[in-house]
Amino acid sequence: MNQIDNCLEVRNLKKYFKTPAGALHAVDDVTFDIPLGSTLGVVGESGCGKSTLGRVVLGLLDATDGSVVFQGEDITNASKKRRKELRTDMQLIFQDPFSSLDPRMCVSDLIAEPLHVYKIYKSGVDLEKRVADLMDTVGLARRLAYAFPHELDGGRRQRIGVARALALNPKFIVCDEPVSALDVSIQAQILNLLKTLQRDLGLTYMFITHDLSVVKHISRDILVMYMGCMMEKSPADELFEHPMHPYTKGLLSAIPIPSIHVKRKKILMKGEITSPVEPEPGCRFAPRCPYATEQCRKEMPVLVEVTPGHFTACHQVKGEQ
Amino acid sequence: MSELLDIRDLVVEYHTEVGTVHAVNGISIQMKTGDTLGFVGETGAGKTTTALSILRLLQIPPARFASGEIWFDGKDLLKVSEKEMRSIRGSEIAMIFQDPMTALNPVIPVGQQIAEVLIQHNEITKAQSWEMAEKMLEKVGIPAARANNYPHQFSGGMKQRVVIAMALACTPKLIIADEPTTALDVTIQAQILDMMKQLKEDSGTSILLITHDLGVVAETCDKVAIVYGGEVVEYGSLEQIFDRTTHPYTVCLFGALPSLDKKVDMLTPIEGQIYDAISPPSGCRFHPRCPHAAEECSKKVPDVVEVEPGHPVRCLYANRFYAQNAEGRR
Ligand SMILES: Nc1ncnc2c1ncn2[C@@H]1O[C@H](COP(=O)(O)OP(=O)(O)OP(=O)(O)O)[C@@H](O)[C@H]1O
Ligand SMILES: Nc1ncnc2c1ncn2[C@@H]1O[C@H](COP(=O)(O)OP(=O)(O)OP(=O)(O)O)[C@@H](O)[C@H]1O
Ligand SMILES: [Mg+2]
Ligand SMILES: [Mg+2]
Repeated sequence: MNQIDNCLEVRNLKKYFKTPAGALHAVDDVTFDIPLGSTLGVVGESGCGKSTLGRVVLGLLDATDGSVVFQGEDITNASKKRRKELRTDMQLIFQDPFSSLDPRMCVSDLIAEPLHVYKIYKSGVDLEKRVADLMDTVGLARRLAYAFPHELDGGRRQRIGVARALALNPKFIVCDEPVSALDVSIQAQILNLLKTLQRDLGLTYMFITHDLSVVKHISRDILVMYMGCMMEKSPADELFEHPMHPYTKGLLSAIPIPSIHVKRKKILMKGEITSPVEPEPGCRFAPRCPYATEQCRKEMPVLVEVTPGHFTACHQVKGEQ
Repeated sequence: MSELLDIRDLVVEYHTEVGTVHAVNGISIQMKTGDTLGFVGETGAGKTTTALSILRLLQIPPARFASGEIWFDGKDLLKVSEKEMRSIRGSEIAMIFQDPMTALNPVIPVGQQIAEVLIQHNEITKAQSWEMAEKMLEKVGIPAARANNYPHQFSGGMKQRVVIAMALACTPKLIIADEPTTALDVTIQAQILDMMKQLKEDSGTSILLITHDLGVVAETCDKVAIVYGGEVVEYGSLEQIFDRTTHPYTVCLFGALPSLDKKVDMLTPIEGQIYDAISPPSGCRFHPRCPHAAEECSKKVPDVVEVEPGHPVRCLYANRFYAQNAEGRR
């Protein structure tokens, strides 16, 4: 049975924001599953709706339409009380650990905070032990227990963020650009940590990033978004080997490769991304797409499974089949 | 003689309440006319401090030029008068920052901002300057019709184009670009880098490109300086740095990147903490994080070794690593 194998099942999820100019379609009809213990990478450019998607999935924002099923339970319209309970199972790691941490709290207090809020431990001794264990788990030296965030570098601050997210023993974590603010040498430390934790604790991740090499490294499946819509979804390696959507192709070709022997032809996409306020009916990418036809400008393409496990929403790709 | 920019042993410190920050510790770089030099390093390596030193834009105090010389086109920039420096800024050296709003005035239409730069540096009428400004905008891919728009009416990528247009408006000899595309999306970054390359080919301007992205370097630069702890630890042509990588830090930098074509389970991070500029380590500044560090490395400050012509490396064992890494590649 499918439900048991999937940690998360998202169906036709929509989130529209009201703006003075009309409804902003931040997330528009997104559908995916995340199997237990695996990672779904969500990529796309600034403003395409990645963070909004993560927040709606976690119930931090209400969905406009569609459903979110977590471990077999439809949580789309969960009560306030149930939401709070779910917080222990579903967590969030942010991009900028610094701005999300209270500067007046020391490392051990920061890690203990979620445990306090949920009154997990009655005895101070147990709490202290749990905090020390968490520090070990994320690789923070115990001597740093009384250090303040501003005294630590970005990598260690992100380790605090990870420890806080782990404190309540979650099963599912949305990682929203967790390494984007870090240098490559430190980024590698955190990515390794997240992978090890997934293996040891059986965690399921939704990993949001705009860095395509990072997403390829960490994900089992990848979802490509553009202006709120799903453009393509596929197993990670397959996406890089056989990208189908013109947007994905352009995106992949734009990655600068740190080698002087790989010479690829860049597909330069013209124009800029606008925001999807009361969008036109056709494909969101049509105004920038080199292959766009009349049909593309008039009719929104539906997501089609072109090869097993590889979905794309493009009139032109479907035409080829 | 043919050097356009020649920085010799630059030492810059910041004096702060918590102590002296050793930001730049003897950086030497040379650039010839037409070069694009990639200045690569992690947070706190001293890249921006070096760039601001060239333009003398550092606030003194807390900053202090402890020693060194910055020769540009036959002048020592650390010695010229403030008046002369002002004319060099903008007309001979232009700077592009990561945040385009550093250079843009939010309440003046972009066309007018470019026109003002043009008027300052050329003997032209207002009407002429406006016409030229429109041409500059088109050159960077913005329709002339938008010259009347204010910065907030543009996306991040477009604002950065406007800044580039402003930088080019006075045909500088050198453009210093400090992480110009770091805040932009990859597709927009690709547009901007492509445009910068094109403009460089057309005008022959030299570019000092500050970045932490080795991919960007591979695509745009012809020379590379790798900085760590306020020092250039390795310098060379693109080929020397990418194919005959010698300094352990450079090797580690490449090794830590997730690769698009190789599948690895775990990445190879650089152990330890980023360089602490207030209490720098003794000996080689990279030794606490270096996988090959020997006893000697904590005691002796390494000299620069020229492992092959035009490829200096600051490491006690530079020759050995050069030979080993050359072997490994065979
Ligand atoms: N509370 C809000 N009210 C109105 N619009 C919003 C709100 N939050 C987000 N948006 C808009 O929704 C769209 C998606 O934003 P979101 O932050 O999800 O994008 P993102 O993909 O995470 O971008 P980034 O990579 O920059 O973090 C954007 O156009 C954004 O301006
Ligand atoms: N105004 C200042 N006062 C005190 N210290 C400073 C100041 N500006 C920079 N520093 C310190 O000087 C060192 C070098 O900083 P710099 O900004 O030159 O590094 P960078 O290589 O540009 O780093 P990044 O990649 O983060 O931009 C750092 O340790 C930094 O904290
Ligand atoms: Mg976001
Ligand atoms: Mg900087």
